[in-house]
Amino acid sequence: MTMSQQKSIHDSSNQDEPLDVTVQNLTKRFGDLVAVDNISFNIKPGEFMTLVGPSGCGKTTTLRMVAGLETPTDGQIRFGEYEVTDLPAQERDAALLFQNIALYPHMTVRENMAYGLKIQGVDKAERNAKVKEAAEMLQIDDLLDEKPKKLSGGQQQRVGLGRPIVRDPTVFLFDEPMSDLDAKLKRELRPLFEEVTREIGCPTLYVTHDQEEAMTMSDRIIIMNDGHIEQIGTPEEVYNDPQTGFVGGFIGQPTMQFFEGELIDIGDSVSFAIDDHTWKISDIEQGSSYINNKVRAGIRPQHIGVVTGGESGSAMNLIPAEHSLDEPLGDETHSFFETDLGRITVVTAPDFRGEPDQDYHLQIKKEELKLFDAETDKRIR
Amino acid sequence: MTSDRPFGRESIIPYNYRRATYRAGIAVSSVIIAIFAIFPMYWIAQNAFKTRSAINDSITFLPTPSTFTFARFEVVLSSRVLNYIINSLIVTAGTIVLVVLVSLLAGYGLARFEFRGKSYFARVLLFGYMFAPIVLALPLYLIWNRLGLLNTYLGLIFALSALTLPFTVWLMWKFMQSIPKSLEESAWIQGAPRWRGFIDIVLPQAKPALIANALFAFAIAWNDFTFAQILLPREEATTFPPGVLRLLNSQWETGYGDFMAAALLMIIPPLLFAYFLQSYLLQGFEVRSI
Repeated sequence: MTMSQQKSIHDSSNQDEPLDVTVQNLTKRFGDLVAVDNISFNIKPGEFMTLVGPSGCGKTTTLRMVAGLETPTDGQIRFGEYEVTDLPAQERDAALLFQNIALYPHMTVRENMAYGLKIQGVDKAERNAKVKEAAEMLQIDDLLDEKPKKLSGGQQQRVGLGRPIVRDPTVFLFDEPMSDLDAKLKRELRPLFEEVTREIGCPTLYVTHDQEEAMTMSDRIIIMNDGHIEQIGTPEEVYNDPQTGFVGGFIGQPTMQFFEGELIDIGDSVSFAIDDHTWKISDIEQGSSYINNKVRAGIRPQHIGVVTGGESGSAMNLIPAEHSLDEPLGDETHSFFETDLGRITVVTAPDFRGEPDQDYHLQIKKEELKLFDAETDKRIR
Repeated sequence: MTSDRPFGRESIIPYNYRRATYRAGIAVSSVIIAIFAIFPMYWIAQNAFKTRSAINDSITFLPTPSTFTFARFEVVLSSRVLNYIINSLIVTAGTIVLVVLVSLLAGYGLARFEFRGKSYFARVLLFGYMFAPIVLALPLYLIWNRLGLLNTYLGLIFALSALTLPFTVWLMWKFMQSIPKSLEESAWIQGAPRWRGFIDIVLPQAKPALIANALFAFAIAWNDFTFAQILLPREEATTFPPGVLRLLNSQWETGYGDFMAAALLMIIPPLLFAYFLQSYLLQGFEVRSI
């Protein structure tokens, strides 16, 4: 622990200008297991970046390396121009909201929120003033003398958010803090998280497995899978323009429907074909190199229409379907159909209810079809 | 539903009486446990205040004014016995301090650090607890003799700690595992060095296990007969349990009353110790459940 390093970070955090966070070629191996495989990204000051992916994809390991709780095997982490890769957690001035919130059960809310300041040697009067200010902002000022056990889940989250507010951290990290909460409370807390991080103004890295959290809160989203980054982009970009099949399937609710087929040449353009169904694909530059090769096509359930009755084969792109289930959600219905191409989920009108004996046909909006390489999962453009 | 059978599964005890039966069961078992636990203590206490002839002549349940006496305690509280008690207190206090400190650090180390042979160490730890004190005491006598630790407080404190540590380290290890690591990590991230996080966060959390270990060390050290008898052969050095035996052996006739008075004195400290610490123990376990 050298004083000069510590000083440099502290000095920088006292400046008005928050630092950005840069992760470069970061790799973490546990024995033979590659948890994080050569990833790079940058979070600008004030930016809310979400790291989303299935469990075991390396997102929490990445966050812990930024926090200083894991040592990278390879690569660099920088806060502004300061390299912090090998700096211990104590000297990074980061803030981290853990999955279990990690409030100290033997301390009151006030002591919990003031602990970081106490460590820094801030005197008691100033500690209490800062805690009071933060508590008022979070509407927990009447709970300051309670022990954490007395608090509800939402109140505990607020206390957890209060700790960084009083400390003015270099980066605000979240490790799936809402995964144990019910859906209603999550929706209540999401705007609060955004407000608090905006107030602090430092870069935010939020780790979650919940794509809805990622979509609703983030300025940008990093989608991770199996240790590597699949895509970085704004919520609109990753939803409308997934670069891999994985991103298409991970982002969006209900999930993108996938079909295996091949690209065929029909004179002046290419078409995606499964059995005797074909959909003409326009503006696709790489299409020619995939002619007569296997590809995967993805389509969002919002872009599939249901035709009641209709003649099978009357048009080549109508898929005969048998209705199996409806999930009414009030403002829309998720309907499941059995087809020759497997089970297909379709978003239908709120009042749609399938009849078991009725003939249905599914119509795919061909301009919304996204094609992916069957081997590499990469988008074919 | 055509059968006359009442709704629900059949039970030997009708539904309306189940609660009463349950309560009666608890009451009866409490009484049985109380008889076994309390009656011997009552018997010791009442006999400690009787004259020698009253004990020998007949079985009575309380001393009468004519048989009541403090004479037993005069014998037992002689300077000789007080010396035994002071020795016991010093050895017990020393053992508690050593055991609590070592088990705390060892338990933390086992819970938080990885090292080679950790699982092997864990197995050996409990294995070491399986030996009877007498098996260990004789070799210890030879070693302590060489080291000059015979007839010293330190010698007995070390021996008793060695006997106590396997279990207390194991308990502390398991307890430390139940304290989320994120509590400490959150302290580190807020700038606390490892030792500071340990003192501010881990130590208060570990209080129930610390108290349990202190109680356990107390019970072992205070009640120890074997080690004290063998490792403290000198009259002035020995502790209460072997001391009382010497006292009674040195008397002309079997002094049941003296023995009762001595036993009463011996029971009181552990009772007080357990009574005052148990409330902390329960408090501590409540706090853990967050």
